[in-house]
Amino acid sequence: MAYPYRHPSEVLVLSKYFGDPEARTLKGWEALGGYAPLRKALGMSPAEIVNEVKASGLRGRGGAGFPTGVKWSFMPQKSDKPHYLLCNADESEPGTFKDRELIRWTPHALVEGCLIGAYAIRAEHAYIYIRGEFFEPAQILARAIEEAYAAGYAGKNVMGSGIDLDITLHIGAGAYICGEETGLMNSLEGRRGEPRIKPPFPAISGAFGKPSAINNVETLIAAAHIVQNGADWYKQWGTEKSTGTKLFCVSGHVKRPGNYEVPLGFNFREFIYDVCGGTASGRPVKSVIPGGSSVPMLTADELDIGMDYEAMAAAGTMLGCGSVIVMDDTTNIVKQVRRMVDFYAHESCGQCTPCREGTAWAAKILRRIENGRGTQEDLDTLLSISDNMSGKTICVLSDAAAAPIVSSIEKFRGDYLEMMHAGAGVPVAAAIAL
Amino acid sequence: MTQHGGKLDSPPSSWPIAQQNPGFAGDTGEFPNLSADDVRGISYVGIRPEDGGHPSVAGSMPYQVPPKQPEGPIFAGVYEERLQKVLSRYPDRQAALLPALHLAHELRGHLSPETMDEVAERLQLPPAYVRGVASFYTMYNLGPVGKYLVQVCTNISCNLCGGDAVLESFLEHTGTEMGMVSEDGRFTVIEAECLGACGFPTVVQINERFYENIRPEEVPAVLDSLR
Ligand SMILES: Cc1cc2nc3c(=O)[nH]c(=O)nc-3n(C[C@H](O)[C@H](O)[C@H](O)COP(=O)(O)O)c2cc1C
Ligand code: SF4
Ligand code: FES
Repeated sequence: MAYPYRHPSEVLVLSKYFGDPEARTLKGWEALGGYAPLRKALGMSPAEIVNEVKASGLRGRGGAGFPTGVKWSFMPQKSDKPHYLLCNADESEPGTFKDRELIRWTPHALVEGCLIGAYAIRAEHAYIYIRGEFFEPAQILARAIEEAYAAGYAGKNVMGSGIDLDITLHIGAGAYICGEETGLMNSLEGRRGEPRIKPPFPAISGAFGKPSAINNVETLIAAAHIVQNGADWYKQWGTEKSTGTKLFCVSGHVKRPGNYEVPLGFNFREFIYDVCGGTASGRPVKSVIPGGSSVPMLTADELDIGMDYEAMAAAGTMLGCGSVIVMDDTTNIVKQVRRMVDFYAHESCGQCTPCREGTAWAAKILRRIENGRGTQEDLDTLLSISDNMSGKTICVLSDAAAAPIVSSIEKFRGDYLEMMHAGAGVPVAAAIAL
Repeated sequence: MTQHGGKLDSPPSSWPIAQQNPGFAGDTGEFPNLSADDVRGISYVGIRPEDGGHPSVAGSMPYQVPPKQPEGPIFAGVYEERLQKVLSRYPDRQAALLPALHLAHELRGHLSPETMDEVAERLQLPPAYVRGVASFYTMYNLGPVGKYLVQVCTNISCNLCGGDAVLESFLEHTGTEMGMVSEDGRFTVIEAECLGACGFPTVVQINERFYENIRPEEVPAVLDSLR
């Protein structure tokens, strides 16, 4: 039962116990079969776990969709250096609120996922980096970690296996960029959360200069299910290249917002109109962002696609972290794009000129258009800035900021032109003040 | 209303809209029987010990304003104990910087230059380095704020559902300007970026607590409940 609404088309693996306060507790979790996957994992070799996860086709749920088993296989097999598992619970992508639900309803699922992930990459310590604003979920998670230690699921000699697995909850302090994997590592080390130039990749030199693997909350929880039930079980859902189920966060002008868990490849139109009940107002859909503010927007005519990594890419957008933002036909697209670009301008760490300057200038130009003082040339300037922002920076925040700009100009040029027309009567002095 | 003994508070039962609007704990949609406490996990968490509990989670209580000891020593008593536990979890001292700043922030309500210098001294890091790190993050207030720091999300999902109007309403009903402290010292209202609860718009964070599904007309009741 995904929360707060449910639908018969859902397949409940990760979200099965959302809305059940009992599942939160150690006793409740154990009664539901919790920590059996950990027990099973400790009876396998790390390589066996990595191979099973690889065979399952599980792909990272934090946005990039990189195959998890492959990522884990990059970790050195033999090394006297310590290794680290980092769990990315920074969840700050506008439109995304799945990790928060996973943590607050099933904290032990994440603790277990981290312990299994750490063992699989031969790490003895897992750090969970959770965004500082998630005070309440962090308190729930803290309680669960303490319970896991007290029950012998974490710490020295886990469940009598002779293996040591530590887990530490690390609280962020407010910065979207700390969700980027190397930004997160710098932040964990007590630095500004500025992304690092790659290579070296985290598997060679990550947190504290040691081999590290970083995974999203949902990824680690899914991996625990795969260890317990096997790769074939997981592959019964989804498409050939996008296997399994995924949580989709639905927000905006939608009748039944919330998290829904469906198999990858689910029809997007059916998802929006049937599962989520269409728009709250009953008005037509104008645009949908399928994967969080960092991915290109779709129009209402482009929804007959599967909700999987390949189909979204073929449609010119991305599945991202599955954050579906629905906009009905009353939406002022220019304003919303400006708001998203304001966000990226605020969150740019400032290391790269195209990102630092590009986001700031694009936001100013968009604001001018929004205030009715734009010209057609502004659209060309925006596209040129966006081009300079894409593929030229240390991390992809810059590319992400360009995505809504470019896609909205391509798909909703008429909206931009209308605003320019509307503002024709504003005095020049006022325009300068804008 | 917000307690700082390590306990998550629940809304008073006299709260008029708590019943009408499950949004105070998120839209409980098809789960009407869930209380706000059930959703927020209050009975599960209980009261967290002042000394931070197990070392694995000793850095997990970054309380926001109001300050507990604006003039008091940062690294003393249970707080020093908490720092020691935090330090035991990382391969180097520098990694304890964010938790140490949280701790200082919790005690003093904001990070003044002097407070940051004290943290620098304690962790043997250059003072300028500590200031550079602290200023990178939005949750560290570098100057005093009101007793209640109201952060209204106006990012896209909340914005589509009226986030701007909720922000306006908070500014109007607290009689403040954005980012300023109200005359009575009670409120500072600021605009926030996505708070990660987008399905429950508009999302407002007041000190460490989230208020969800807030509509502009509910703002006075929310503010009243804080008095
Ligand atoms: C600007 C930026 C912000 C990101 N924020 C998050 C985030 O909040 N949570 C997350 O899991 N991944 C985030 N990512 C993706 C991570 O860099 C990384 O790919 C992911 O955590 C890897 O985990 P996965 O393989 O399980 O997806 C972000 C990436 C970028 C570029
Ligand atoms: S692209 Fe932007 S956010 Fe990423 S490293 Fe460069 S300046 Fe920082
Ligand atoms: S957009 Fe408001 S919480 Fe995400």
